[in-house]
Amino acid sequence: MNDITNILWEVTQDMFWSSIAALGFSMLFNVPTRTLIGCVACGAIGHGSRTLAVELGATIVSGSLIGAVIIGLMGYLFAKRWHAPATVFTISGSIPLVPGRIAYSAMLSLIQLSTTDPKTGETLLVRASINGIQTMMILGVIAIGISAPTLFFERTRPIV
Amino acid sequence: MAASTQKPPLNREELRDIIDLSLWAGQILLQHGAETQRVENTVHRLGTNLGCEWMDILVSPNAIVATTISGEEFRTKIRRVVGLQVDMTKVSAINRLSRRIESGELDRFGVRSELQRISQIRSHYKRWQVVLMVGLACAAFSRLFGGDAVVFGMTFVASAIATFVRQELSRRHFNMFLVVIATAFVAGLIASLPSAFDWGDDPQIALASSVLLLVPGVALINSADDIIKGHLVTGITRGISGGLVSLGIALGLSLAMEIMGVSGL
Repeated sequence: MNDITNILWEVTQDMFWSSIAALGFSMLFNVPTRTLIGCVACGAIGHGSRTLAVELGATIVSGSLIGAVIIGLMGYLFAKRWHAPATVFTISGSIPLVPGRIAYSAMLSLIQLSTTDPKTGETLLVRASINGIQTMMILGVIAIGISAPTLFFERTRPIV
Repeated sequence: MAASTQKPPLNREELRDIIDLSLWAGQILLQHGAETQRVENTVHRLGTNLGCEWMDILVSPNAIVATTISGEEFRTKIRRVVGLQVDMTKVSAINRLSRRIESGELDRFGVRSELQRISQIRSHYKRWQVVLMVGLACAAFSRLFGGDAVVFGMTFVASAIATFVRQELSRRHFNMFLVVIATAFVAGLIASLPSAFDWGDDPQIALASSVLLLVPGVALINSADDIIKGHLVTGITRGISGGLVSLGIALGLSLAMEIMGVSGL
């Protein structure tokens, strides 16, 4: 029981901070003021559900997929509710999921490789590749996740 | 193309107007962060709803090519698209415009004045608000990465100042990569203070979080989205440009870290 309360407390904090992150980036992207609350909700619930999934044993990649699918569904519903394209909600909402820290680690390791001693460069190389691949995987599942509703519900013949 | 002509054929004058308007809408979308599929669909819908019979569109990373067809006539035009400045209000406004045209509410002349209005929409948020909130957003990321109060405060200061620097440099039309490198450098100088003086528990988190405002999230997500939906050329280009921006961030950061004598990993 204590375990569950711990996880819930963790996720609540996580949702609070990711809602602030989503708010800041939504303003940077100049989303319409009336959709701001929807963007923040997408960010908080999307990132919160990823953290919950990871706490329950998912990997960061599958957790991101779960978070992104939830963001995609929310964006799909909000688009109808607020008469704005789903992109507004899904892009701003998935910014907290973007693996900034992992990409940072990959790029920095890559740059430090240029000045490192060949004998000890192995760690850096491994770190750069692991983080680089993880970044690409997470970005890929975010894109699949947020467009999942359109891919499933709007399978019309291409008009162009 | 099957010529099931229900629409009255348009003359060259009207075709020119339609291609101009729909390309204009496409340009606004591509420039402000819409994915390729949306650009194609919107341009096509605009053109066909304004009266032409069919429209073929080629979206490339920095230009849109379109051909309008009506009766015996067709016209082709290229429109260059430069720069990327994410602005969801404009994307949303074009989406609504396309719906209004679909319902027959607007004619060509109405569309032109609407597009004029949309392209002049200013930001809803004041510059200081954005500086403050982006600073807070990056500081919030530092909390998500497990930083303590000192790291939170320093990240806030570093990202807020970096956002200001980025706004000032972009306003003066510096090269995009230069802006990124310079902004990351400024953020890195301030964010390496905790590491240099050994403040807080895990001071390196400040370095990682303070540059998150520069991460090309929209370009990278759109890149993956384009690739999934089969627009490989735009997808790969966006991915590479996003990767180069990330490399620029790392360059600026490592320069700052070298000067401050700290390590970031």
